[in-house]
Amino acid sequence: MKKQTDENRCAHGIHRLARLVGALLLILSSLFLSTWGSAAAQGAEWGSLKGRLVYAGKASKPKAINVTKDVEFCGKHTLVDEELVVADDGGLANVFVYLNLKRGKSVAVHPDYDQGVDQPVVLDNKGCRFEPHALTLYLKHPLEIHNSDEGIGHNTNATLLKNPKFNELVSNDAPLTKNFKKSESYPSPFACNVHPWMGAHVLIRDNPYMAISATDGSFEIKNIPAGKHAFRFWHEADGNMDKLKVGSEKTSRKGLLKITIPAGDTLDLGEIKVSPSVLGQ
Amino acid sequence: MMASGNYIKTRQLGCSRVAGMIFGLFLLLAGCEQAQPPAFRLNMVQMVSQETSTEYQQEIADVLGALFGTPDQPYALPETGLEQNRLNLAAGPAWSDREGTVHGLYRKHCVHCHGVTGDGRGPTARFLNPYPRDYRPGIYKFKSTYNSSKPSNEDLQAILVNGIPGSAMPSFALLPSSQRESLVEYVKYLSMRGQMETELINYVYDELGEEEGVRIPLDPAKDPEQREVMLEMLAEIADGWEEAPEQVIQAVQEQLPEENRPAEVVAVSVDKGRELFYGTRANCLKCHGPTALGDGQTDDQNVWNKTNKKFQEDNNRLADRIDRVRNTGGLDAEGREQLQADLLTLARREAIGARLYPVRNATPRNLRRGIYRGGRRPLDIYRRVHAGIPGTPMPGSGPASSDAQGTLTDAEIWNLVDYVLSLPYEAPSQPQRALPANALQIAR
Repeated sequence: MKKQTDENRCAHGIHRLARLVGALLLILSSLFLSTWGSAAAQGAEWGSLKGRLVYAGKASKPKAINVTKDVEFCGKHTLVDEELVVADDGGLANVFVYLNLKRGKSVAVHPDYDQGVDQPVVLDNKGCRFEPHALTLYLKHPLEIHNSDEGIGHNTNATLLKNPKFNELVSNDAPLTKNFKKSESYPSPFACNVHPWMGAHVLIRDNPYMAISATDGSFEIKNIPAGKHAFRFWHEADGNMDKLKVGSEKTSRKGLLKITIPAGDTLDLGEIKVSPSVLGQ
Repeated sequence: MMASGNYIKTRQLGCSRVAGMIFGLFLLLAGCEQAQPPAFRLNMVQMVSQETSTEYQQEIADVLGALFGTPDQPYALPETGLEQNRLNLAAGPAWSDREGTVHGLYRKHCVHCHGVTGDGRGPTARFLNPYPRDYRPGIYKFKSTYNSSKPSNEDLQAILVNGIPGSAMPSFALLPSSQRESLVEYVKYLSMRGQMETELINYVYDELGEEEGVRIPLDPAKDPEQREVMLEMLAEIADGWEEAPEQVIQAVQEQLPEENRPAEVVAVSVDKGRELFYGTRANCLKCHGPTALGDGQTDDQNVWNKTNKKFQEDNNRLADRIDRVRNTGGLDAEGREQLQADLLTLARREAIGARLYPVRNATPRNLRRGIYRGGRRPLDIYRRVHAGIPGTPMPGSGPASSDAQGTLTDAEIWNLVDYVLSLPYEAPSQPQRALPANALQIAR
């Protein structure tokens, strides 16, 4: 390219002028395009979704775990069955609420979510249970599996469908680091075969639009592109939460609900009553 | 049969003997004509679990038929990387031609245990322990590759040559290697078909179904988008198999035990191995037991049995719920509708559940017996400890891929190999850390 320009400079004045004009046009148009592009990014409208899940039945007291392995250590912790975690005021924890995309579809991701993606998300073997019991993982982050139980051996056995399954020992000094390439459609069960009562669910997605209800049943997903989306409600007791009443709507057989996210605002779904039959109880 | 009877009558044959013979002949012929060629069975456990409607079941069967053919006429798209002529030799009824070429190898040697579909449900399967392998999930226990990878052709060949000691799987070392190669190809074919079936069931559930009351059919012949998706799925499955040779675990050269090591050197390694066995990093004793008799953890299952167990448990839970609802009474219209739907689902599920084999627990290997299913060479034991055993509770202790970090070093894995291989020969008089009598106490 440079050589050609040199030649032009020597011989063809007119060509040179034409080239200059062309270059000017190019600069102008790229300037226009770039301002237009950033305007589009700034102008993209985002909204949030929140709500609170409340168990409408009478939750029985969580069953105590019969500790059969490493009794001296694990027996110290008061371990209970964590399938159904209901707060005193009815708040239902560990419900996964997440954006459902059709195969091959993608969604715009708010730039905030790309901050600190090199920070690992940690799943810990702690007190002979998984901490946390339910976890979301935007797959740009690595997953680190720790073992904080000093002198206790654990293994982590992950049943994944789209990513390679794994089953590995986890020792105190060497956490496992996992990078995932594919989005899973559902939360994946993680288990420890040494301690059969141990279980967790990890939702691995290629977009960050997911949440897990906290101990009070509340959840919030921030900065979703405004517009109509399908969200899935999922709980480990019975998988997809079908026929869940949300306002005047009901989730489908697959636990899906179409929700319109308002631009620059938060949609509050309010209190969502979860009847026991939704959880197969 | 009725037709042939009427035929004889109309001809008014006087001699009853001749008539009888002809009748018999007709019966024979009719029998031959009516014999159904063997067909692949659908994965009903998964289909019923994912509420695949009968229309979709038929459509999935059609797509699988188009992609893979039938047990008599298997078919492999180029995307699968499978060799059609090998499949032809392995499939179909068993016979040999004038040149002595044997056809229908799978039905001659494998089908009684592994079944026409490769679902591990042949006529003898129910009586075997362990059950024959169900090829459909594409998970194989004894192989040279990383835990999540597929076995290489050589791995499957090795199983055919050696059989699986301690199981009903015999050695096929006496077959010519070309026949074994055909069988390996056919086993891979059955796995790919099974994997594809699972993908299709998931696809139908996640992507199709009813929208605003209209059912979206699975019809890749008419829908180019669906066709593209099907080929994508198939290519992905085939990729997993194709890349297996690159996923073979390479033992670190510098840490390989030397050949002809003196007894003292081996003894040191065995001691290190013992320490690891009882330590919490390798944690072997938790499942194999403090005496290595395989009695540490006996109430877990492998994935194949776990699938069936979960299916039965879900059935029981549904039955309980129905009972509870009935006993409570006072249902509204919606409740009654739900009850009817639940009853129908339960009937459907119980019909499938009744045909499943009893769930068997995974027993950790008794390491005192010197019987190793995946082979008794040190390298075989190394691979079991390194990668774990896919589909079972046995975890891996080495790196999970070529770029990952493992819990144990290669040298430590070899120490464990030495210890494991020493266990059957440990003198009974040698003081042991635990005796069966107090094993339970120590495990706790």
